[in-house]
Amino acid sequence: MEISRRTGEIGAAIVTALLGIIVCYGSTENGIQWDSSGPQPGYFPFYIGCLIIFGSVATIIQTLLRRRDGEEPFVDAERLRNVVFFFLPIIAFAAISIWLGLYIGIFIYIFFTMWIPGKMKLHNALLTAIIVVAVNYILFEVLFTVPLLKGPILNALGIY
Amino acid sequence: MGNFGLLFEGFGVALTSYHIMIMVVGVLLGLVVGVLPGLGAPNGVSLLLPLTFTMDPVSAIILLTSMYWGALFGGSTTSILFNIPGEPSSVATTFDGYPMAKQGEAVRALTLAFCSAGIGALTGVLVITLLSGWVANFALRFGAAEYFAVYFLAFSSFIGMSTGSPFKTLVSMMLGFACATIGADTISGESRLTFDFEELIGGISFLIAVIGLFGLGELLTTMEENLEFHGVKAKLDIRTILRTMAELPRYWASILRSAAVGIWMGITPGGPTAASFMSYALGRRFSKNGANFGKGAPEGVISPETADHSAGSCALLPMLALGIPGSATAAVMMGGLMIWGLAPGPMLFTQRPDFVWGLIASMYVGNVIAVILVLATVPLFAFILRAPFRIMGPMITMVCIIGAYTVASHTFDIWLALVFGLVGYVFKKLDYPLAPFVLAMVLGHNAEDSFRQAMLTSGGSASIFWSNGLVATMMFLGVFFLLLPLISLVLRRAGINFRSRAIEKEAEAGSV
Repeated sequence: MEISRRTGEIGAAIVTALLGIIVCYGSTENGIQWDSSGPQPGYFPFYIGCLIIFGSVATIIQTLLRRRDGEEPFVDAERLRNVVFFFLPIIAFAAISIWLGLYIGIFIYIFFTMWIPGKMKLHNALLTAIIVVAVNYILFEVLFTVPLLKGPILNALGIY
Repeated sequence: MGNFGLLFEGFGVALTSYHIMIMVVGVLLGLVVGVLPGLGAPNGVSLLLPLTFTMDPVSAIILLTSMYWGALFGGSTTSILFNIPGEPSSVATTFDGYPMAKQGEAVRALTLAFCSAGIGALTGVLVITLLSGWVANFALRFGAAEYFAVYFLAFSSFIGMSTGSPFKTLVSMMLGFACATIGADTISGESRLTFDFEELIGGISFLIAVIGLFGLGELLTTMEENLEFHGVKAKLDIRTILRTMAELPRYWASILRSAAVGIWMGITPGGPTAASFMSYALGRRFSKNGANFGKGAPEGVISPETADHSAGSCALLPMLALGIPGSATAAVMMGGLMIWGLAPGPMLFTQRPDFVWGLIASMYVGNVIAVILVLATVPLFAFILRAPFRIMGPMITMVCIIGAYTVASHTFDIWLALVFGLVGYVFKKLDYPLAPFVLAMVLGHNAEDSFRQAMLTSGGSASIFWSNGLVATMMFLGVFFLLLPLISLVLRRAGINFRSRAIEKEAEAGSV
């Protein structure tokens, strides 16, 4: 699968334009008029939204007018695969961390990424994960006293 | 008491053993952040900021600024040894630094880079020392209308000086403003753009945006390339370092020119990256050795490095004196100041002179420490970078995710950071500039408030924006900058091309 630069440009501009429309719509709920005390709360964001739409439409027009020969693709199959296989574990990491706490999330994420994509030996990956969790625990809980999310399992073990 | 008397007192604040230790720690952390691709200065400062909430503001700002110096220096190490810029602002250093290293002159290139960077930074700090009090005094006369005019000028100069598409700069900036609007309105208290999502009522922290856009976004682009480091080995010996230092006065013209470029680009929101490219282009055109640029010319290392660092330090001048940061990192630091309960701007100079002058004094000391530490740690970082990126990438990701959580202990922020990461990846690939986004997010409230306050004082008449000479001049300049892309288009049609080739080169480098 390959996405051309042109498709990428137009796709991104359509998304930003939609965001602009959402901003405009949302600000109408606060009133976009002037009243006796000056502009209403929605006045400023409404025009921000308009400018987003203007910029996005101009980008689309600019892309359509530009010659397209010799352009690098936005992303090709190999690069897309690299990005997706890097990003999917991060999503899992975030989900596990929010569900079971950051320390458990970190342990699973570091262990997995060191073992499979990192091509470490199983016991080395395990050791790395343990060290990373320990370093983070000392750094955040002891040195900086900024508690990280513990989650239900650590709480059940008596670690708050 | 003059600025230098105040500076002297500032040294009293900065030169305690505790603060020197903080500077060393900050510079070292900054070097790590600067050396590793995916962790940049804005992102590094954002990650560290939540940990400073409990610190004394003076110590906290010294820690953060020292980290900034370290990051600026660290970026050059990888540029020269690995041909991979650790920071966007050190891209121009690769053009001549890496060829020099390949010709066996790695140590000479590194020493030239660090020393000229140090000189650039100290020039920048000197400018801050001389001008900041004066600018702050001048700004004391500002009312709401003048402030809005300054914001308008700052933002329109981003559009006018953007090297890519001005429309993309506009979209990026306005999205930043929109993100700043989310949450409770500061004047009426109504909640805006929250669409009844409970998580959005408190607003979106700019720190989350920076961690996503600059951190995760950068990681995704780096991962996509499947980056491998092929470094040049550098063996440091004191004699080469000293010999290179003795060589420096020969390049006084390059250094002076580059420092001037850096100072200008730092005070106006051009930022270090633009400064280093512009300085490189000017160096190629005006230096006697210009023809050798790109093949390992010493001036090709000195020019971007000096400008990068003088711009980096000068970016703090408008932040301190006016409350308008000159770069993305300065914007993050200003956000930090507001979180610590200090209002950046002219009043800071009268209310907290110990803070301002302690900070300025620490800039002198911090940069000297940075030059020494960066030279001493070159072998260490060259070793660290031999670890493959498939190992480093997940580690940096983990730091970003933890950082997103520590901002406010909200799990929702982790998801937000991931979303901003994807946005940063797409924006980077399509050459949308990210700095305007961050600046707009930090300044959004202030810009809007000053606009609405100006409107309240004038009774709703926009004529307040040209009611006196000062505000009218700034508004006029702002409009001029907005129209600049159009003017240059017309001139180019007429056959006059004043955008230099180096700027096009920057656009290419920015897309890598």
